[in-house]
Amino acid sequence: MIWTRQKERGSIAALRLMAWIVTRLGYGFGYALLWPIALYFFLSSPRQRQAVRRFQRRALGREPGLRDIFRTFFVFSATLLDRLFLLGNRFQDYELKVFGLDLLNERIARGEGCILLGAHLGSFNAMHAVADTGCPVEVVALMHTQNATKSASFFAELDPRQAAAIIPLGQPDAMLRAKECLERGGLVGILADRTPGTGKVTRVPFLGDPAAFPLGPHILAGVLGAPVMIAFGVWTGRRRYEVHFEPFADRITIDRRDRQAQLELVATRYAARIEQVARRFPYNWFNFYDFWEEMDA
Amino acid sequence: MSSVVATEAEVAELIVEALHLEVSPAEIDPEAPLFGEGLGLDSIDALEIALAVSKRYGFQLRSDDERNGQIFASLRNLSAHIDKNRVK
Repeated sequence: MIWTRQKERGSIAALRLMAWIVTRLGYGFGYALLWPIALYFFLSSPRQRQAVRRFQRRALGREPGLRDIFRTFFVFSATLLDRLFLLGNRFQDYELKVFGLDLLNERIARGEGCILLGAHLGSFNAMHAVADTGCPVEVVALMHTQNATKSASFFAELDPRQAAAIIPLGQPDAMLRAKECLERGGLVGILADRTPGTGKVTRVPFLGDPAAFPLGPHILAGVLGAPVMIAFGVWTGRRRYEVHFEPFADRITIDRRDRQAQLELVATRYAARIEQVARRFPYNWFNFYDFWEEMDA
Repeated sequence: MSSVVATEAEVAELIVEALHLEVSPAEIDPEAPLFGEGLGLDSIDALEIALAVSKRYGFQLRSDDERNGQIFASLRNLSAHIDKNRVK
């Protein structure tokens, strides 16, 4: 898939500089720098601009202007800035609106663990913030790390505790770790909107056209038999986030017969829900690649 | 037939059954990699194998075992590990 090959934008030097600025000169100074930073990403990434345009055309239902496209780059940069700033656990400076926390807590209380299906939509850190402020159980995330190794190792260096909560996909025992976390009543986060280079994929309707979605997360949920929720945290303004937890399935059951058809049904339902969220928060969609496989190489 | 070879045949069958593979158990090369190349399994497959193994042989494959890379490397290694740890 294209995104795994896509060169990671932003060198370590730039991240280090941003980290230094927010910690020494303060958030306000960092925030002011977002404009030139976002502008730099915007101007230097024609393919990503094109990808955002194609997404927004569908999500907004109109031809996006440059202002719309720039806004996605800005929001993305803002979440990056917050990620650096939040490494110091300064959540008290943020306004976090959390929806569905009672539903999540209900599931946690059952002790069966819970699978949180996310997407590359908004910020994982906003969800970490919720976990950090009083989640009684452990939280781990399954992630493809081959794409973002440079920044992943940078953030790991800054915050080893957070790095320990990431299970890199690709090792045979990755899912065993997820299973054991659920057995201890923990939460396992999985992003279910990007397909890895290999593995099981289906094409389901997304914003009007078929797009590739992975089946892996739903197979996993079926095998593990834990309750499943959809979870995402979106940037809604300067130091403001909304975090949503929504029920998705009490458990996903996949019979042996019609396995493929049942999995496709679950993936379709997931894509339909993510579509609604993407329409509601279009500038938080951070899949900067050819999502519908329609762009010229 | 030695017990290791017998286990290998049995585990091959278990893998094919657990993962609904379209190869026959005898076609799995005992020394070929199970994951990535070779049989081309992924980590969800590994989980399903681990669940099937615990059901059939009564012991858990765990993620904190440092030898996992080796255990899951081939049918031969996995079978040898099962032979050593099985309780039924």
